[in-house]
This record gives sequence, C-alpha cells and structure tokens, in this order.
Amino acid sequence: MVREVSESCVDSLLTEMVSCYCNRFYVNKPELAARRIEAIGYQVGHQLSERYTMERPRFTDHLEAIKFICKDFWSELFKKQIDNLKTNHRGTFVLQDNKFRWLARMSVDPSTDKVSSVEDNTSPTAENKAAQSMSMHLYFPCGIIRGALSNLGIPCAVSADISNLPACSFVVRIKAG
Amino acid sequence: MIVCVAVVGHQNNPLFIQSFTEADDALKLHHIVHCSLDVVDERVNNPKKSGPMLNETFLGLLYPIENYKVYGYLTNTKVKFILVTTDLDVKDADVRNFFRRFHAAYVDAVSNPFHVPGKKITSRTFAERVSTIVKSFGFSSAG
Repeated sequence: MVREVSESCVDSLLTEMVSCYCNRFYVNKPELAARRIEAIGYQVGHQLSERYTMERPRFTDHLEAIKFICKDFWSELFKKQIDNLKTNHRGTFVLQDNKFRWLARMSVDPSTDKVSSVEDNTSPTAENKAAQSMSMHLYFPCGIIRGALSNLGIPCAVSADISNLPACSFVVRIKAG
Repeated sequence: MIVCVAVVGHQNNPLFIQSFTEADDALKLHHIVHCSLDVVDERVNNPKKSGPMLNETFLGLLYPIENYKVYGYLTNTKVKFILVTTDLDVKDADVRNFFRRFHAAYVDAVSNPFHVPGKKITSRTFAERVSTIVKSFGFSSAG
C-alpha cells in the first residue's frame, strides 16, 4: 500500500511553514526561525533515511552515503537525481540540482532586475529581501540532508547556495572525527 | 519458536525488548541479547570473518547458546535487531523474511512524529505488530 500526497500540497505546506515561522512566531529573529525550520527538516530527513535505506547493504564510506543521497534519496523526494556532485576529497561535497523542485515555482520580483541601474538606493534592499526569503525556504531541505546523513552516522553541516535560479547547490561539510 | 526479540540503538542502548515465554526467564534472555552485542561488533569490525555477506544488513547466526540460537541484523543507521529462537533447524530464508518484516514495522514506528529518536519505542501498535510477526514466524516464507 502506497499512500500519496499531491505535490502542490507539499509545496504549500513548505511555503506556509516558512511564512509562519518568519512572519508570526519569530518576526524579528530570522536566525531563530531558520534554526527551527532546519530542525524540522532534520527530523524529516532522519526518519526518511531510515525508510529509504531499508533494503540496501550498509555503506562502507562517506562517499557511498553521499551517493545514496544524490541518487536514491533525491529520486524519492524530487523524482530526479542530483545533477552534479563535486568534492574536494577532504570532507566537503557540493551537490548541485539544476532545477530544484521547491524553487521551480518561485519568482523573484522582476522589477528588481530592471531598475537596478537606475535606482541604486532601493534595489539592493529589495534584492536582499528576495534572497533572504528565498534562503529561508532552503533551511528545510538543508535540514533534511543533515538529518539523513547524521542518521547514517555522518555528522555534518549543510548550507545552500542560490546564485542562479532555479539551480541550487547544497554544500555538505563533514565534521572530522 | 521465537522467545525474544530486541531492538538496540547505535550506542547499544536498548530501544525495545520483548520476550515471548511463559516461564520467568526474561532476565536470562536479556542477558543473551546483551552478550550478542559483542558478537555484532566483532562481525562488523572484522568483515573478513563474514566473508561473502560483507555489508549485508542480515548478519546471520551470531552464536548458539544452550538451547537457543541468536540471529542478528544491523541496519544502515546502526540499529541492531536481535532474535533469540529455540528452533534448532531454522531456515535462513525464514529469518531473513522475519527481519525484513520486523524492519518495516520498526521504520513505521520511528516515523511517528511523536517518537523521539534514541528513546525507547513505547508504541503499542508496534508491540502488537511485532507479536503478530513473531507468531507467524516459520509458518511461511512468503509474506
């Protein structure tokens, strides 16, 4: 028996959760809101990794676990794999998704792109604001990755980078020891 | 007959332990489970011994003791499942099947948002599901 949930519901839930934490619970404390959202993601990732690793042999090293996140885990979550994986072989991995599903339907206010040269005093703040609310939505997937990896025995820190939408890269830094 | 099943967390903390005997030998069974943890560690840290079963979640027969046989299973998330049985000619397939269903039950239990990771599993639904799986053990390999 497979129970399914419509994708738009999940999208709306994510948007609503972020706006709830940012605009109602922790209005002037974005760091605190970010931490809370990340913590929710952590729990979700923790539980999902338990489920999705059920029928597979144990991982022998970090790379194998990261590959699992890139391929199977990502396919289960977003119906696609991570497009590009880079590593410095010293515990840092960059997972790039060229069309990240949860950002695909988000748009940055178009006025900010055009007027940037004319009105220099307003556009940076508008752009900042857009980037900030965008990054708020990324704490949840970051938490999911961190939760999944730490449940697999790999403590790490995960951050996201959105330089060109809708591509999105997640930087995983594995903690030594 | 299965006399005891246990779930042990990644820091060797007991998450769930249940014995299925009439007699008052819970302590003895807990002791057997406790001893088996060392065998699991040994299997995992010296993969040469386990040979072809390298990195498989099913660890096979851990050790026989008195009238019991102890089987182990280690998930990707370093959670151990231990099974103590009195049957002396158990089919590997049956045990595998048992652990597969047990693992599914465990995953459903820890996916409960009210379950705190690393704490004991108190869900009654889980306990009931486990006893159903235990009762059906050995009767059919399909399921």
